Amino acid sequence: MKIIDIAFKDLTRSFRSAFAIGMMVVAPLMLTGLIYFAFGSMTSGDVSMTAIKVGVVNADQLPPESVLDAPIGDNIRSMFFDESVESWITASDYPDETSARTAVDRQEIGVAVMIPQNFTERYLSGEQDVQVLIVSDPTLSIGPAVVEDMVTMMVDAVAGGGVAIQTVMERLEANGIQPDSSQFPSWIERYGNWYRDFQRDLFHHPDKAALVLVAPPAGDAQTTAPLAQMMGLTMAGQMIFFAFFTGGNSMMSILREEEEGTLARLFTTPTSRTSILTGKFMAVFLTVILQGLVLMVAGRLAFGIQWGSPGSVVLALIAQVVAASGLGILLISFVKSTKQGGPVLGGGLTILGMLGGLFTMNIPGGMPEAFNAIGNFIPQGWVLKGWRLALDGAAAGELLLPFMVTVAMGIVMFSIGVVMFRRRFA
Amino acid sequence: MKAIEVTNLKKSFGAFQAVRDASFMADSGEVLGLLGPNGAGKSTTISMLSGLLMPTGGDASIMGHSVTKDPEAAKKSLGVVPQDVALYPDLSARENLVFWGKMYGLRGAGLSSRVDEVLEIIGLTDRQKDHVGRFSGGMKRRVNIGAALLHKPDVVIMDEPTVGIDPQSRRHILDNVKELNQQGMTVLYTTHYMEEAAELSHHIAIMDKGRVIAYGTHDALIKMIGEQTRIDLTLNAEAEKVLDAWRAIEGVAGIDATDGKVTALVDDSNRVLPRLFDAASKANVRITSVGIQEPNLETVFLHLTGRALRD
Ligand SMILES: Nc1ncnc2c1ncn2[C@@H]1O[C@H](COP(=O)(O)OP(=O)(O)OP(=O)(O)O)[C@@H](O)[C@H]1O
Ligand SMILES: [Mg+2]
Repeated sequence: MKIIDIAFKDLTRSFRSAFAIGMMVVAPLMLTGLIYFAFGSMTSGDVSMTAIKVGVVNADQLPPESVLDAPIGDNIRSMFFDESVESWITASDYPDETSARTAVDRQEIGVAVMIPQNFTERYLSGEQDVQVLIVSDPTLSIGPAVVEDMVTMMVDAVAGGGVAIQTVMERLEANGIQPDSSQFPSWIERYGNWYRDFQRDLFHHPDKAALVLVAPPAGDAQTTAPLAQMMGLTMAGQMIFFAFFTGGNSMMSILREEEEGTLARLFTTPTSRTSILTGKFMAVFLTVILQGLVLMVAGRLAFGIQWGSPGSVVLALIAQVVAASGLGILLISFVKSTKQGGPVLGGGLTILGMLGGLFTMNIPGGMPEAFNAIGNFIPQGWVLKGWRLALDGAAAGELLLPFMVTVAMGIVMFSIGVVMFRRRFA
Repeated sequence: MKAIEVTNLKKSFGAFQAVRDASFMADSGEVLGLLGPNGAGKSTTISMLSGLLMPTGGDASIMGHSVTKDPEAAKKSLGVVPQDVALYPDLSARENLVFWGKMYGLRGAGLSSRVDEVLEIIGLTDRQKDHVGRFSGGMKRRVNIGAALLHKPDVVIMDEPTVGIDPQSRRHILDNVKELNQQGMTVLYTTHYMEEAAELSHHIAIMDKGRVIAYGTHDALIKMIGEQTRIDLTLNAEAEKVLDAWRAIEGVAGIDATDGKVTALVDDSNRVLPRLFDAASKANVRITSVGIQEPNLETVFLHLTGRALRD
């Protein structure tokens, strides 16, 4: 009973958190929607989205003797000016906070993104409250949420890259290998470039997405509904990516509770530590299930996606829930604080998602064999296989292999996570 | 049976001994004050009483249940108010109380009416639907206390419940403690404000550097140091210039200087004060203010440790 109370409390908190809802439901739908509209405008020419007007104040500078060759602020700024987003974001520069705020008040722009002075230096030094300020027109709802998610992902990814490089360095040194530090700048730069390209795919280059659609598969007589099919896969990719994110983010509530002191308080009540942990795990599973259901219904209503036969849909969804919850619980069990958790989830899941093929499944002609082989080791890749089959109308029996592999992976990850958490708290 | 019994409790973190030796007890229905400066080991002691930390030595019991051997039973008899507010900011006051009530095994109509009662006690019935995150510091602390009262525990432990809040909320909390105590709850009240310990407690345990260095009623503790009076002095120069001369004066039992403020413990202020001035003149130091304080817990602490019990 107390287990359910704890899980229910966690669900209530998630549904009240704008960030959680944004990442759980709004972002995947929005991103799918962008492609949908991009395609619509390419084919029919009359469906279009009103562009979000974004004003950027970039006061960031490169700290002296930095290994980076541009401040993080420049990367954030360029995201909004990139040609890949120009069909739905119109960006302009503002000299300072006052002018940007005035522009929002006058409704000249919908969102102002303000990068504070010395952002790079302060962020990389781990300062707690340095952040990019986002001010938005209160009459808009979706646009600002997307802009906020873009900034969060960018910043997390940069920090995640920093954390990763630092960890590798420490490992190497611990093993007596002296890393060649003159390589750092080029590593960070390569990482930055890769991330910029990746960002374009994630926020979908509308031209590229359209190209995929416009180039019909050879001998397309049998393609009944290429749009619906492509939408289904795209939406599945987004759903999987954000399901894994949701799994990790829900589990992160245990770190939040540790920091807020409520976990210690729970331990002072006559409630066993096993019940408390079980309640927290249950909340993760329930949240990911609910998210999947909401996204499937929304995808059906908004984009007309036929997810597949009931049996195969159930299998694909269960596989997704077990894997996403298992990996989320496992990842967070290694993380010490919520401050570390953001970058670990953002960076780790982005890389796994990419390797699992979540962002490249619409590339015409498919990806190279070697790349697809990597997907066989990635839970996201197997979840995607399940959905691909379901969307193709496969019978439930055909999903058994991906189902069993994914669930097995999920159970292994979950079990390791449980052991780690029990060692830590029980 | 004692409501709270603490016997030679010890806790080390690695090589560091946070609690070296703590013993005290409380009868059913009394308020026990645990008084000590920052870092004395109060919260660590309380964490062991509430089952958060395993003692490295000694034992403690709540209503006869050992916290090491039967922690579940001890926890059922106990309500804990943590030093830092531990609530869910995105849930309302009522939702928080309902949740914590459930964690103590309350359900249904009984829980709901008890939540109403507790909201009444902490004076937040009107604001029960508001999210705790939007409350003032004082209101949060009241909910923080309320969450420990739902199951009508025999013993309530409060860890510095009045730190950093406005006088009005502070008054409210002190009155709550007295009221709860009148209804028969045993209260362990931790503080570094000696006035609070003096106002509320039947017995007081004074803690310093991990040890309980004195335990008794307020009056007994004061008597222990005799009729010594505290004198506070401010100087226009470094206290070091005159401190040794003052220490040598007959009737000065202890003296301590921090940040230009000097605190002396003397047997008879009428006799000693002129000598302090004499010595200051000889050392070319001007005394710029003098305060005389009759014996209180502060003086007891100074007497026992040679240091002032300052925040
Ligand atoms: N988990 C821990 N690991 C290491 N040292 C600790 C830990 N918890 C407490 N300490 C140390 O033990 C000592 C006692 O701390 P404690 O919190 O019990 O003091 P306190 O009397 O409650 O002080 P305050 O009035 O500041 O709350 C401090 O020096 C503190 O740094
Ligand atoms: Mg404390």
